[in-house]
Order: sequence, then C-alpha cells, then structure tokens
Amino acid sequence: MKRSSLLISAVILLPLGATGADPFAVLEKNCISCHNTHDRKGDVVLDRMPLGIDDARAIIDSISGPDPDMPKGRDALKPEEVAALTAWVEAGASIPGGRVLEDTHVPGRDWWSLQPIPIQQGLIADPTGSDRNWAKNAIDAFVIAKLREKNLTPSPEAEPAVLVRRLHFNLTGLPPAPEQVTAFVEDYARRGEPAYRALVDALLDSPAHGEHFARHWLDVARYGETHGYDKDKPRPNAWPYRDYVIGSLNADKPWSQFVREQVAGDVLAPGDPQGIVALGFIAAGPWDLIAHVEVGEGKLDGRIAKHMDRDDMVSAVFNAFMSTTAQCAQCHHHKFDPVSMEDYYRLHAVFAAVDRADRVYDLDPVTQKRREGLAVEIGKAEAGLKAIDKRIADAGGAELSGLKAKIRSLTDQGAGKIVKAPEFGYHSQISADPNMAKWVQIELPADAGPIREIVLTGAHDDFGSIGSGFGFPVRYRVELSSDPAFARDVTVLVDRTGADVPNPGIVPVTIPAAGATGARHVRLTATKLAKRSNDYILALAEMAVIGMDGKNLAAGAPVTSLDTIESGSRWGRRNLVDGKFPTGGDPEATRQLAELRSAEQALLDRLNTPEIVGERAALDGKLAGWRKELAALPAGKMVYAAATHFTKFGGVTPTEGKPREIRLLRRGDIKSPGPVMKPGAPALWAGIAPEFRATNEGEARAALAAYLTAPENPLAWRSIANRVWLWHFGRGIVDSPNDFGRMGMEPTHPELLDYLAAALRDDPKQSLKSLHRLIVTSATWRQGSAGDPAKAAVDGENAYYWRANRRRLSAEELRDAVLVAAGKLNREMGGPSFQDFVIEKPEHSPHYQYHLHDHNDPKSHRRSIYRMIARSQTQPFLTTLDCADPSQMVAKRDETTTALQALALLNNPFMTTMAGHFAARVKGNADPVGAAFAIVTGRAAREEERAALAGYADAHGLENACRVMMNLSEFAYVD
Amino acid sequence: MSIDRRHFLTGLAATFPGLALTDLLARDGVLSGHLHRPAKAKRVVQFFMAGAASHVDLFDHKPQLEKEHGQQWDPGEGVELFQSSPGASTKSYWEFRPHGACGKAISDIVAPLGGVVDDIAFIHNVVGKTGVHSQGTLLQTTGFNRPGFPSAGSWVSYALGSENDNLPSFVVLPDHRGLASNGTKNWSSMFLPAEHQGTVIRPGAATPIDDLFASKTAGGYLTPEADAAGLEVLRRLNGSYAESRTDDSRLSARLHSYELAARMQLSATEALDVSKEPSYIKDLYGLAPEGPGVDDSTINVKAETEFFGRKCLIARRLLERGVRFVQIWSGNDNGFPRRNWDSHEDVKRDHGPLAAGMAVGAAALIKDLKQRGMLEDTIILWTTEFGRMPCAQGGGGRDHNPFVFTNWLAGGGIRGGVTHGESDQWGFKPLDRDHPTQVYDIHATILHLLGIDHTRLTVRQDSLDRRLTDVHGHVIREILA
Repeated sequence: MKRSSLLISAVILLPLGATGADPFAVLEKNCISCHNTHDRKGDVVLDRMPLGIDDARAIIDSISGPDPDMPKGRDALKPEEVAALTAWVEAGASIPGGRVLEDTHVPGRDWWSLQPIPIQQGLIADPTGSDRNWAKNAIDAFVIAKLREKNLTPSPEAEPAVLVRRLHFNLTGLPPAPEQVTAFVEDYARRGEPAYRALVDALLDSPAHGEHFARHWLDVARYGETHGYDKDKPRPNAWPYRDYVIGSLNADKPWSQFVREQVAGDVLAPGDPQGIVALGFIAAGPWDLIAHVEVGEGKLDGRIAKHMDRDDMVSAVFNAFMSTTAQCAQCHHHKFDPVSMEDYYRLHAVFAAVDRADRVYDLDPVTQKRREGLAVEIGKAEAGLKAIDKRIADAGGAELSGLKAKIRSLTDQGAGKIVKAPEFGYHSQISADPNMAKWVQIELPADAGPIREIVLTGAHDDFGSIGSGFGFPVRYRVELSSDPAFARDVTVLVDRTGADVPNPGIVPVTIPAAGATGARHVRLTATKLAKRSNDYILALAEMAVIGMDGKNLAAGAPVTSLDTIESGSRWGRRNLVDGKFPTGGDPEATRQLAELRSAEQALLDRLNTPEIVGERAALDGKLAGWRKELAALPAGKMVYAAATHFTKFGGVTPTEGKPREIRLLRRGDIKSPGPVMKPGAPALWAGIAPEFRATNEGEARAALAAYLTAPENPLAWRSIANRVWLWHFGRGIVDSPNDFGRMGMEPTHPELLDYLAAALRDDPKQSLKSLHRLIVTSATWRQGSAGDPAKAAVDGENAYYWRANRRRLSAEELRDAVLVAAGKLNREMGGPSFQDFVIEKPEHSPHYQYHLHDHNDPKSHRRSIYRMIARSQTQPFLTTLDCADPSQMVAKRDETTTALQALALLNNPFMTTMAGHFAARVKGNADPVGAAFAIVTGRAAREEERAALAGYADAHGLENACRVMMNLSEFAYVD
Repeated sequence: MSIDRRHFLTGLAATFPGLALTDLLARDGVLSGHLHRPAKAKRVVQFFMAGAASHVDLFDHKPQLEKEHGQQWDPGEGVELFQSSPGASTKSYWEFRPHGACGKAISDIVAPLGGVVDDIAFIHNVVGKTGVHSQGTLLQTTGFNRPGFPSAGSWVSYALGSENDNLPSFVVLPDHRGLASNGTKNWSSMFLPAEHQGTVIRPGAATPIDDLFASKTAGGYLTPEADAAGLEVLRRLNGSYAESRTDDSRLSARLHSYELAARMQLSATEALDVSKEPSYIKDLYGLAPEGPGVDDSTINVKAETEFFGRKCLIARRLLERGVRFVQIWSGNDNGFPRRNWDSHEDVKRDHGPLAAGMAVGAAALIKDLKQRGMLEDTIILWTTEFGRMPCAQGGGGRDHNPFVFTNWLAGGGIRGGVTHGESDQWGFKPLDRDHPTQVYDIHATILHLLGIDHTRLTVRQDSLDRRLTDVHGHVIREILA
C-alpha cells in the first residue's frame, strides 16, 4: 500500500522519472533538496561543479550499509541506485557541461491525512455498547476506547448550571441570563434529556449562533476591513462577506456549497448575489495598496507584489479548506508533503485573472454585465486620456516640464503661507462631464448703482493635492442682466469660452465692467469645468462686484446657481459673497506664477494640435456617454471580493477574465521564470490529474471548487471536522488545524476524526449544525471540568478527554458579555461595521484613534463580530486579550495571562464606562450586588461573596463593585 | 526540525491546565538559563528612521557625487525607480568631515554622532528586496517583507524574557505624530505569545501607556482608594475561585497578574518620570525647556531634538530597569505635511531637522550608556527601510534606493570605529554585488551577541520551523569586538 501510493504519485507528479542507472537522476531525486548551492546542508553541495565536499567517497559511505545515514528521513536507496552513484564517484564524481542538478524529490502520499476516509455507516453497531452508564453517542464510543487503552475513566456529567452556561457560550458566544439558567436547571431536572436537546436546538436556531461561528471562520479567513501595509485604507464594502458567512452558518448551508461559493460562486451560481459576495474570502487578506496602485505591474516591484498577492490567495484556500501548506512549494518542492513547485504555480494560474476590488453583487445578470463592461470601457478611455497627456508631456519636453516644475515650486512655497477661512467658497455638484455648463449668480440690491469691475478669486483646497485655484473654471463667461433667467437684456462682460484659460490660482481675476448700470444680476457660466480627481466641478472662493466707490456691492447678497454642494461651513452659496477668500504668497511670486501659467498655456495651445484636440474630444464624448449610461443603470450594492471586471484604479488594471501568464519561478524568484503553468492542483489523492481541464479562468476556479469538495478528497472533510471539534473542545483532534502534513501534529483519535469527517461528507444535507449537535450532546463534551491528580498524572494535557476543558472567554465573547451585563448589547444584525475608533487624516494614511472613541455611542454596542477590523492598528483592548490578528490565518486563538490584561480589564474606558451602565441597571434592585453577581456568573453569590462585594460597594460605590465583578475569574472562564 | 520543547510546553499550558504557575507568568524566556553560547549583550535598542533615510546624505560619503554633481547620472545600466526616472547626480546636502580616532567621515547634519563614532560599526552595503515602504519596513522589523511574522523585538523577548517582572520586556516608542507603514505590525508578536508584542509608550503624552490607570473621564467613581480596595476584593474572590480548582494553574496565574499589574503601575510611572534627571543629562539629550509642548507647526530642529531626545532618555531609563528590547521611531506615515524621512521633494527640508534631532538623541544615549557601564552589554542598531538614490528627484528630492543603504551598530560586543561592506562609487548598489549584507545577517549578528544561534531559535508554524532569519543569515564576524 505504502509503496504503491508512492509509485502512483511518482507517475503523476514526476514526468522526469528516475531511471536507476542515471546517477544524476539519483542525485536529483535523493540528495539535491538539501545539498544544493543555497541550502548547503552539512556544508555539502552536490548540484554543480565544483562539488562542495571534501572527499566524494563519503557519499558512498553515507548511502551504504544496513542503516545508511542518507538520505535523511527517507527510504534508503535501492541497490541499483547505490551502484549508480558508486560508479559515478569512482569515475571521478563530475557533473558535465555546466549542468546544474535540480531537486526532483516530491514526498509521497504515504501519510495518514492522505488516506481515503472510509464510509462509516454501520461501523458502530451500538455506540453506547461500551459503557451504557456514561456513553451517549458514537463519539463516546471512540473516546472511551482510548481512555480504556490509557487506563483512564471519564468524568461524570457537569452540573446542569454549568452545562447551560457552557452551551450558551459555545453555541452562541453569549452568556445565559440568570433566569435562563434557572429555567434550564428546573426543566432538566424534570424532563432530563429532552430538555437538554431542546436547549441545544434552540441555541443552534438562534441568530446568535451564526454570529458566533462566523467569528471562528473569519479568524481562519484572515478577514479584515482595511488593506494593511502602508496607507492602511478602509474597505467599506468588505462587510457583506461577513454577513454572508453569518447567514450561511445560520441557514446551515451544506458545507460543500459554502466552500464552492467562496472560491467560484460567481461561476457556479450566476445571478445569485451570494455567489459573488462569497468571493470576499479570496480578497479578505491584507493587500499592499502602494505596490499595486502606485507602482503597478509595469514595474518589477509591482509584479512582486502581484505574486505575493496570489500567494496569499493560494495559501488561504489550501490552509483553510485543505489543511495543507501549499505555500511551502514556492521556492522548492514541498520538503515534507506531496506538493511540487509545479503544483504550487498551477494554483497561481487558477487565480491569475483575479484582483481584489469592489464589485457589484445584487443586480440582474444583464445589468451586472453591462455595468462591468462600462466600468472597463471607462477605465480604458481614462487610460487613453492619460496617454494623450503623456504625449503632450513628451512633446513639451524639457520646456514644458521646466515650466511645470517652476509653477509647482512656486505653488509649494506659497502653500505653506496661504491664509484661508474655514469658509472655502461656493462648490457646484460634481459632474462626470467636463463640458456640462454650470452657472452661479448674484442678485444685487436694488440701489446698487454702477459697477466698476467684477473680481473672481479662486478657492483653495488640498483635496487631490490641487491647492490654489481649486475648481476654477477652465472656460467661462461673465454676464450682467436685469433678467434673473438671463433670457434677455444680457451684457457679456467677458467671454473666455473659446479656449482654455490658465488657472489663476488664488490670484484675483479682475473683469472691468465700465460703470455698467441697471443690471440686478451678475452671472458666471462655466462652459468647461475644472478637473478634480476623475470628475469635474465649478468652485470659487469669492465673486465680488465692485462699485465705483470700491465697495463690494455683492457682500451678503442672495446667490443662486444651477446646483450646489452645501457642506458644513466649508462650501455653500453664501460663502461666495462673504468677503472670505484665501490670500497669501508674496506678490512677486504671485506675479511670476501668473506669467509662468500664461507661458504654459501658450505652449499647451501649440502642443494641442487639432488632431489631439479631436482625439481628446472623442474620448471625452465617449466617456461622458458611458458615465451617463452607467449613472442611469441601477447602482447595485458593492462587495470587496475577487474580481475580473472593475474600473481600473491606478496601476490595477482589470484582466477582463484573461489570465496573466503564470510561470514557475525558480527559487520563487520573479527574475528566474521557468515554464508557463496551466491551472491545476496537487494530486493529493489517487485518480486525479494535476492539471485542470479548464478553458477559461472561471472554469479553472470552478474546477478548484470541485476539487476542494470532492467526496474522494481525503483532506477537506477531515479539515472541517477537526475545526468543528476544536471550536467545541479548545483543542483539535489534530492540534495543527491548518497543517495535516508531515510537519503538523498527528491525530489523537484518528478513527473518531474519520467518523466525524465521513458523517459530514455523507450527510445529504452536509449540515454543520448536525455535527455541532452530535458533539454537544455527547457524554464526552458534557463531562465536568474538575481535576483529578491521578488522571492528570497519566494525561495532564487531557489529550484523551477524561474531563471537559475549562476555557477562557475569547476577547470578543468577553466584550459581548460585558455589554450584556451592562444591559447595553445592541442586537442589530448585519450591515456596515461599527467603528470603535475615530479616523483622523483619512485622506492619506488614516489614523485609527481608539482613544478618541466615545464608549457611550450605542452604535458601538453591537456584537464584536460587527466591529470594523483595522489591520495597521489593531484594537488594543481586544488585542491584549488575544484577539486574532487579521494579517494571518488564525486556526486557534492563543491564550496568554498577563499583567497588561489585568490593567485593560480594570482600566480600559470600555470597561469603566460599562461598569457605570451595569451599576445603573442593577441599582433599583433590592439586592443590587446579588443581582449583578448572578448576571456575571450565572449563579447566586454565596454569603461571604455577597458580603465582601456589598461592603466594597458601600465604601466605594456600586460602579466600582460592578467593575470588580467584571474582573472575576468566574466571569472570564467557563467551567 | 524539532519543536523547541519550551515553546511546546507553554503552548500546551495555554490550553491545558495542570502545568506549574512558573510556566505561565514567570518572565523567563525559552532560552533563559541555557543560551546557545555565552552572551556579550543583554539588551537591544533599535532606532528606526521611517520613510527611508538617505545614506549618502548622512553616513556614506561619496566624493564621486561631488565630482559629478549636477550632471545627468548614468550608472550604465537600466534603473527602475519607485516614482521617478533618474535625474542629475547629487552630492550630499551637507559636508562630510572626519571624526574620532578612526577618522570616519560623516555628514555635518549628524555631527553629534561624531563624538561616538569610535563606538560605531558602519555597514554600507545593506540591500533590501523592493522599494515599497511597507515591505521594506516589515523586512527590517520582522525579517519578512509581508505581514504575519513576529518583530525582532518579540523574538528577543521570547528567547530571553524580561529582567524585570514589573515592566514589559519589549517596549516601542513610536513617533508621536503617528505610526509608520504597517502600524503596529512592526512590533506584533504574531504567532509568538501575545506577551511578547511591543508595548507602546508615548513619552510626554497625557496617557503614556494605555490603561495603566483608569481615565477619570470614564467615570467619576474611579479613585485610587477604590482601585486599591477593589484589588483586595478581587484577590479574595478570585483566590477562592482558584482554590476550588487547584489543578488549573491559569487561575492562580490570573490572580497573580493583578498583583503584577499594580506593581507595574508604580514601576512604569517611576521609569517614565524624568523630572529628577539632572539638568546636564537633560541637556545631553537635547530636551527643550518647554518639553513635549515645543512648537512644531513647521518642522524644526529644536522640536525634532526634543521628541527624539526624550525617547532616548526614556529608553535609557527602561533599559536600566531591565527592559530587553526598545524600538525607537523617528518619523510617522507618509501624511502631509511630511514628518518623515521620505524626502521625494526636499531632502534639506525633512532630513535636516530629523537628522539633527536624531543625532543628538542617539549620541546622547550611547554616551550615557557608556558612562553608566551599560554600553558594553547593550546593542544599538540604527536602521531604516531602505536608502535614497544618489541622483535627484525633481529639484531637491531623492527617490527610494532599495539596492543599497546603511545600517550601523554600536555597543554590546560590536567593534567600534569600523566600516564593513562598501557601496559603489555613487552609493547606488553594493560595491561587491555578489556579497551584500542583508537584514538576516544583521539579525543573526544581534542574536549571536545575545547568546542565541539564529538557526536554533525556532517556532513551528504551518509546516515550517519559523525563525527571525527565515532560511538565511550569517553572523558578521568582521564587526565583532
């Protein structure tokens, strides 16, 4: 069996094949993985000339004899192989022709986790047969067998009051109310088993169940709501994936459907929004915005980032669903498990067409497709416009870049000295089309008198690094009229609509009016708007209408406009006539700036040949049309997920489904590309080919989804069965849940694991809830947690489950339990996450300022699963309590006990704020301390406990007593 | 290949009751009492210049740039830069002058370091992997250019533990204006136990350590008397809970953690109080008379000196009290206006004040440790995510240079007054391109001096025995004393 599986894997994975007679093939298969120029194990190098070994005859010694030293940890060489190497050494141990030997060894499938999972039906004739007094279901049969083997006996069932608290926390992550404890204890005493099962069913049916187990899964999925790395920007559309996980678990979605959707939901269920939302799994991990957006794949650093990005996707899928560390085959074949470099790069090829981006998920397929198409076309046209800009810049050469540099330098110098009021000015609505005419006008008082001149002053806003002249129209005219509609009696004061006008910055633009009289209305009409980032606006700090005496006739006058953005104090119509506009820069620099800008404009006018103007107009026209069409389509909701169609942003160009070329990278080095790889996955069980039959990227992901859920897959079912066990017992049957390979742990109860894996696989509903029910109704799970020195001497780790494991609440469970105690828990489900920080400097590198959060904000009183998870600044309070870090896949939480935890639980403002609410909640009670104690522990206080707390409350207030109770070990632990 | 036994045990203890209390709360590291080799040093200070400090303007003197200054720079090969295409060769913005007995030339802007140059070993041929800030920063702090790995400080804390139960073993003094690329990832413990993550201390801030004391604004009921009495009630109630479950050492550890917390309140407060430092010490570190409130509305030398100097002084006080690893940051994120070393636009504007302030504080710390006899077992490392190009970007800036940059070390077993590894004539790439210095070598050397074989300090994580130096690293023997 062992030998044959090795052979099969060799045939499938190793087309090179070793022939016993070729010494180089023998070396490549057996020696080179360690003795190469890079690894130099034992300071021996055998992959090229000159060999790195003192005396080549040592090779023969090390591989010969009954118990040879080499190859380390592997089967001894066959006699013909030893003969081949001996002959080679005797002939002078030389590798000809500059050849470099490559490692061809891929470990075999002779490992427990790669063996088929037997069908279990009928395997256990009478699960309770072994111990009728104790055992309740099949799980117990496996456990008791092992206990007997170790001369151990199980513990009796825990007290009902302990069981009810344990069940509530385990199945929902929330504590039972004191009255729920009492009710269960009574019901259980009266009805026994049916009462227990009724509680289990109720808790599994509770919406809180999905919320709780979603936290477990999101730990594995490395889910976060910011990108991480540099400029850690939020992902405002990540949360639908979180809701998808909660919803799927609450609906008890068949496990294989849950898996398939997260890899290829868009392909397998077209038209089903959930199929797209599920792809949030692939995108959930960290992402280097700068390397992708600002550098991009045009540069080496951008390609390295893209490679690392795919590595994250491959690792996530294989660690999460397969408990296999495929990522170890990036630089060389996996040293311990049957994953070759070819396998690894085939997995890259599966994800070669996807990026992480916001995508629409809830539209009908036709609209969806049109939206995606438009998004791509818009991106292309924008790139086309950029290309024209580049042609202009190239044609302008040093002259243009010199002018720009001087303008920039003068603007920068001025920028520090600009003085402006918080009232920036008037700001139109944003337009997708630069050629949309927008107007703003002033109604002068009836007694205004003649007008000497109009003075326009540009606004200043750091948005998009624009600064001075923000929103100043590119083409415009200024007119007077007695008619507010400007339908008749119009005097044109200036018409600059024929050609682009250089932006004056904040230098006032004076338009003579020659003492015009009789006009009540002054209107500025922009016929070409100013560019903002990817859109267009009209903005102006001040429009002054100067009378013959130099006074501003427009001060405080009514302002009307086509449209406006009225946003706080900064922008509003009234700001156009408030006498507040930015000033600054020295006059000489200002004059120079104006000159430079005219010179630049003159040069640009020359460079903008009619041909270019035509091209640009054509693109502008198309863009405007597409944007209009896009705006008219239903917008839909967005999810941050794996995507192939989206609007290009920075250096991230949508593939439109066309996969990037994936090459095997020698030593994982992007500068050493090998052969082109097609999509596939390692042949980890018999009868499958390492390459997929897929003709496009969607099919490739669908093929991977099928692979991950194949009934024959020996890893997938064991992987999830083990995770579920871990979530209930705090320890996996395999205690390295992401790694079932040779470097991982081995199962303590292999038959039990197979039983659970097969139970899920062969269940027509593939119901996780059935698995939960099986586990929590077992006698094994229901044991008491009390210690026993004699048993501990045999099995101190409780690896064989002779009792229950007391567990500490996770960071989130503890936070939620505090909110419950305080009477503040807000049970609103789903939707955008709450923030328990204030974001400062959002425009560049957001600062997530937790200390500025108001803990009385009811929005932040939702369950912790709805908290916005920032990667660069993790939540300090929860992090101290061993919360999962979203930058790595966390299969199992750490549990540390530190002084910093004690400080956080005593002093963190969340705790002290909630202590106040907790006290207010119980204050009206006849025995406030007793009521509070029951809430945090689920039991009545003993007299000495009540006395100690009541005395303390009398001396230092009920709030402090509540704070102390939330620091009780009994609150933090579940027996 | 074998799991380190000690880690194995603590891992189990975390889940399974029954192990001794000492395994849970004692501040021993996994190698305490059985180091791999005799240690030369006990503790480490890591200076980190966020944004990428220019080696050619600070420590790596390039006369060739003075000759070529203003001419189009031509290295004779294609160069792909982060933001720009190569401009003119640009000499240092400051003069270089020799210092000390060794005669090492360093830039005038870091002249205060001239006084300790004979204690410093310079390495001018350090190379990075990419020119992306986030990746370069993680590479220098964790040894990997992607998130998911413990900080060097966490590894040292994990290996050696703390010398003082009442203070954290790994302390981070960030730039008060914000965190550099990757934020707290630069001092996360990741797959090492959480007690080894860096504890942030903000010298001079209203709340230097999160949650050390309750904030009165959260409730008027919070008083020192209530705190003290509350701890007593907790001791009794948690004590009786633990006594009824004696087999579970986590519960007694938790009981003990509240006592430690109370002691930490006293110890940390005392360690952060510089008011009793004599004035000559405050002057040595360049503290401003107005303290942390010094005006920094525009970037200036006085403020930068105060900010960096105060952190260095606090670092000394923490090191004296047994803190194992202190990470000191200069510069924040890439926000606006610029307050870090990422001088794409104007080297003089940003590097000037930052370097001048850094040099005063760093030189003071080295001198002060020396006069207290602590320099001999304290390793100082100065680093940054990468260097800057020898050619101009725009008028007065320089683009990223991940191809070569400078680190320097001092103290604990380091040979002073030496330069190891040179860059080429421009400071563009290593002079010997086949033998650069990598971060792994720096880390291996530091661990070596701490008595640790970098290949043997490992933790099993997803199939691999992870270590600070990945699968690389050679001790740089040339700079050992």
